[in-house]
Amino acid sequence: MLDVTVVIEDLDASRLSEKANENANSNYSLNVSLAERDRGSDHLVLSYSIELTSQPPMARFKVSGSTTLKGTKDEIKEGITAPDENRPPPILVMIYERIYSTIYLLAGALKVPYPMPNLLKKGP
Amino acid sequence: MVQETGTDLYSGILRFYSMNDVRKYMKSLLERYQRDYDRSSNVIGSLLRAEGGKGMEVIMSKGWAKVGAMFVDVTDPDKGGMELTFQLVTEMRPRISKTEEVIKTFESVEALPIATEATFLLYLHNGIPERLVIDTTETKPEAYTYKGDYVTVQ
Repeated sequence: MLDVTVVIEDLDASRLSEKANENANSNYSLNVSLAERDRGSDHLVLSYSIELTSQPPMARFKVSGSTTLKGTKDEIKEGITAPDENRPPPILVMIYERIYSTIYLLAGALKVPYPMPNLLKKGP
Repeated sequence: MVQETGTDLYSGILRFYSMNDVRKYMKSLLERYQRDYDRSSNVIGSLLRAEGGKGMEVIMSKGWAKVGAMFVDVTDPDKGGMELTFQLVTEMRPRISKTEEVIKTFESVEALPIATEATFLLYLHNGIPERLVIDTTETKPEAYTYKGDYVTVQ
């Protein structure tokens, strides 16, 4: 079974508008990148970088770090392969799920809209 | 089940994508074996010191009997357990020596003419690296990268 660990290495959160509040209606757009850092027979280490910006712009979160996938070659391949063009690779969903609680706490502290915890949907 | 002491000894084939990774893996194996060996031999050493000049008799049980295909100790669990630890330590020494020797002489393997795209199959037998295949048929996969834009919708 694929074993995934996610480490946050850098975190930046900004409140972009004085009018922002937790209850404002706001969607977030995400810019995501993953890059291979190390690979072995039973593991793959990726760097990740995720930037969330609310629309309209009230807050921005930048989170980066590393994730390690441990498992067989096929399990790892499945973990990094997007099921289709419009859906993210499973590892990206897992990373977002793991870092979400941190982003949620920061959003509360900054008094900006909370991003949604659900699966990501590809933007226009 | 609770593991009391000892080392997990892998038998199988591992694929590596660089020679440096093979070396790093073997070094990590050796470090683990040495750590486990030290832990077990400290147990034996402490007991021998505590029992003064009594020698090996303090770790040799007389309670062994052959039952079926196994030896079973039902009368002297303390010495029986200690004897097992001693046997483990004795068996670990050659394993450590062999792994050390493989690492020490690994430079000669690294000096071989090796294609840059090659990958490496390492065969371990009871935890000892025994054979290496330099595989040019299955090459290292291209480095993984992914970029995407997404939205979360309320």
